Amino acid sequence: MKPASKSSRGQAKTIRRIRRAVQVIALLLFFGLFIFVTYRTPIPGVSDIFYRFDPLTAITAMLAGRVFLTGLALSAITVIVTLLFGRVWCGWICPMGTTLDIFKPGKHRQKGSSNPPPEKWRMIKYLLLIFILVSALFGNQSLLFLDPVTMMTRTTANAVWPALSHGVYAAEGFLYNFDFLWDGLDVIHQAVIYPIFRDVRPVFPLAVPLFLLFAGIIALNWWAERFWCRYLCPLGGLLGLLSRLSPFHREVKETCTACSACVQRCPTGTIDPERDFASDPAECTVCYNCIETCPNGSAEFKWQLPKKKHGENLVYDPSRREVLSTIGLSAAAAALAQVEPITKRSPADLIRPPGADQVDFEALCIRCNECVRVCPTQGLQASFMEGGWQNLFTPRLTPRIGYCEFNCAACGQACPTGAIPLLSLEEKQHTPIGLARVDRNRCLPWAYNIDCIVCEESCPLADKAIRLEILDVVNGRGDTVTIKRPYVVKELCIGCGSCEYQCPMGGEAAICIFAYTEAGGYAGNDPTFVDSDNQN
Amino acid sequence: MNKSMSRREALRWLTLTAAASLVACQPTNQAQNQPQSNAQPAEPVDNQPVNTPQTNTPSADQAYLSVVHGQDPAAITEAAVRALGGMERFVQNGFNVIIKPNICTDYYSYEYGATTNPIVVATLVSLALGAGAGRVRVMDYPFGGSAESAYVVSGIADAVQAAGGEMEVMNPAKFRSTQIPDGVSISNWDIYQDVLDCDLFINVPIAKQHGLATMTAGCKNMLGVIENRSAIHAQMGERIPDLVSLLRPELTVVDAIRTLMQNGPTGGSLDDVQINNTVIASHDVVTCDAYATRFLGLTPADIPYIVHAAERGLGVMDLNSVRIDETSL
Repeated sequence: MKPASKSSRGQAKTIRRIRRAVQVIALLLFFGLFIFVTYRTPIPGVSDIFYRFDPLTAITAMLAGRVFLTGLALSAITVIVTLLFGRVWCGWICPMGTTLDIFKPGKHRQKGSSNPPPEKWRMIKYLLLIFILVSALFGNQSLLFLDPVTMMTRTTANAVWPALSHGVYAAEGFLYNFDFLWDGLDVIHQAVIYPIFRDVRPVFPLAVPLFLLFAGIIALNWWAERFWCRYLCPLGGLLGLLSRLSPFHREVKETCTACSACVQRCPTGTIDPERDFASDPAECTVCYNCIETCPNGSAEFKWQLPKKKHGENLVYDPSRREVLSTIGLSAAAAALAQVEPITKRSPADLIRPPGADQVDFEALCIRCNECVRVCPTQGLQASFMEGGWQNLFTPRLTPRIGYCEFNCAACGQACPTGAIPLLSLEEKQHTPIGLARVDRNRCLPWAYNIDCIVCEESCPLADKAIRLEILDVVNGRGDTVTIKRPYVVKELCIGCGSCEYQCPMGGEAAICIFAYTEAGGYAGNDPTFVDSDNQN
Repeated sequence: MNKSMSRREALRWLTLTAAASLVACQPTNQAQNQPQSNAQPAEPVDNQPVNTPQTNTPSADQAYLSVVHGQDPAAITEAAVRALGGMERFVQNGFNVIIKPNICTDYYSYEYGATTNPIVVATLVSLALGAGAGRVRVMDYPFGGSAESAYVVSGIADAVQAAGGEMEVMNPAKFRSTQIPDGVSISNWDIYQDVLDCDLFINVPIAKQHGLATMTAGCKNMLGVIENRSAIHAQMGERIPDLVSLLRPELTVVDAIRTLMQNGPTGGSLDDVQINNTVIASHDVVTCDAYATRFLGLTPADIPYIVHAAERGLGVMDLNSVRIDETSL
């Protein structure tokens, strides 16, 4: 008996090692894709691979967008794997789960008084899942920012990576003050720093709130390990429901001595001493910690038909009444969302990525910020209240921070759900996202008779959507001077925002982009537009 | 909590705090967004430009300005430099050379006349290396798209690397606030230090139309090695000569092979491009620009920055007063 248990422990140890290796590889893959698959080096269909395997975003995006998204069909694999093996996604793959495993209290603290929240809290994730699914049915994906993969991409793109980049560049900038370090720094910069961090200085308005949200979730690890996965994660809830049907689950044998060693090691705290150390397959992440820990090999994962036992209601399983009230609440919330002014008229400063107006953008967007990640100028930013509560964290162009780069269509390539359609570069260059407007009360030539034309210079269109009107004026000194006043040709302007970005006025630009409007036969880089006045 | 801080904890805090304050307090050039005018006193931390530019006056058998027409960009570039006395006049053994083409955006390839002809740039790289240069770097600071992408789209990256040169993406950390002793409108600006420190600075602009300057060529190309260039536009006629007075490229080679006649400086339509198949070279950037004006149907007197630069003795604008060698291949 003993040698057998020893070998099963050894086996468990190996499996646990493999799990950790898989976790590390998956996390490295996540960051590798994050860092290296950018607009210069797109690998279509690969950069968003974690979304393709995420069944929650697949279901909600298809429900809300009322389309079948072939690209997300891979998530069926995750569903099948979960039906077979349980929540292995959570324990083996999920970049969020691995991050939570990395940032957890050290061993010396775990021994202290652990006082986790009531078991009933585990219900939150199921109710959240129901809420999200029902909202999606109503065409609303506002709460998808709670999907763990979107959480990872969004937080890394907006806060963690920019802060790291700034820290590295600040340190480098400091060292560049010492002339004798110059040559060595050049080598390091070219070989390591530039390929990783590129040359855009990171600026993200939502860095602090997004970081705090994420840091808060990590901090909850100190209350209960993997707090997020146990109580909150809607994807965990979905996979948990599927796991109940799994034929592969943990079994405790008669030889158990009730030593409770496994209880301490279980990251999701699902091993219940009061139920003969049984665990809930819906909570178990198949991490193998308990199997490895068990001193006499009394626990193992086994193939077995789902027993009736697993159908039993635990204290945190939602009752019919709770499910129904959550559905009702979701419907009420969907109705409440319709009250927001955005449903009547979209605000002019909510400039969406190219092509977003060709699809049901707001229904399809899962707030993952993949587009924000790949945008080379950082013009795409997560919105805050610009589109109301329901559009929190959806992307918008902020030309004062970065313009829509003429030679780039990366956002459409990165978008996992097609909320930003896949446009060819050619198509993108003819897709208007907004329209420039000169503020004549602020523009140097218009308001102060000072020459400038930076906006005209920066306009990327072959025919220039910003033209210059040349005229003689009398300036403040009483001199007659010739100046050039910019004006916008609306048939050509695609609203890329280069002009607004480059405008030398401090603070708000004297030329601004406003969201796309079809009013007035506005076409955007119209190839059929024939003009006579373009002969500077 | 009666437990006092352990040594390890104290050290950890101290290190973290020190590192954080180091990073937080270090002065960044990027934060400095306002142009400095002469009214403000110069900051005491400014760099003093150390190497006074060499005068590089041509000897009797060397042209002041050489103009070569021909179909082959490499041949006319080589011939233009040869007429000045060859690259050996400018390069000494082991020289650290920086070549500054105009790679203004990553929007269109060089055929559209917005960026310098890659073969002209690559030929200069080969000539410099052939004359004994130790290291030849090519760089610009595009205002549209990333530098890396612009280098590739323009065709310059491939050509330069094939010729043995390096493309450098300008690093924001290497711009330093630098005094411009002869500045009239600006007294200091953030300048890319490598350009000031290198042994030879070769300016390889393309002559093209520009909305405000009416023509951009050699002098305006200096805007590619500074920060906050849009602020230069406010008094461009004075501020461009101010930059020239500091940067003093030792050799300027103007690409007038394909000239963008309108919708510059970015271009995008081949209809706006006129084929001139010409390369102009001189040690005097002002003379180069003065000559290049003809390709846009202008005269030197039409361009305020040329007039001001000549008035301030930064170069010669009167083309009749210098020796011009003009040949056709």
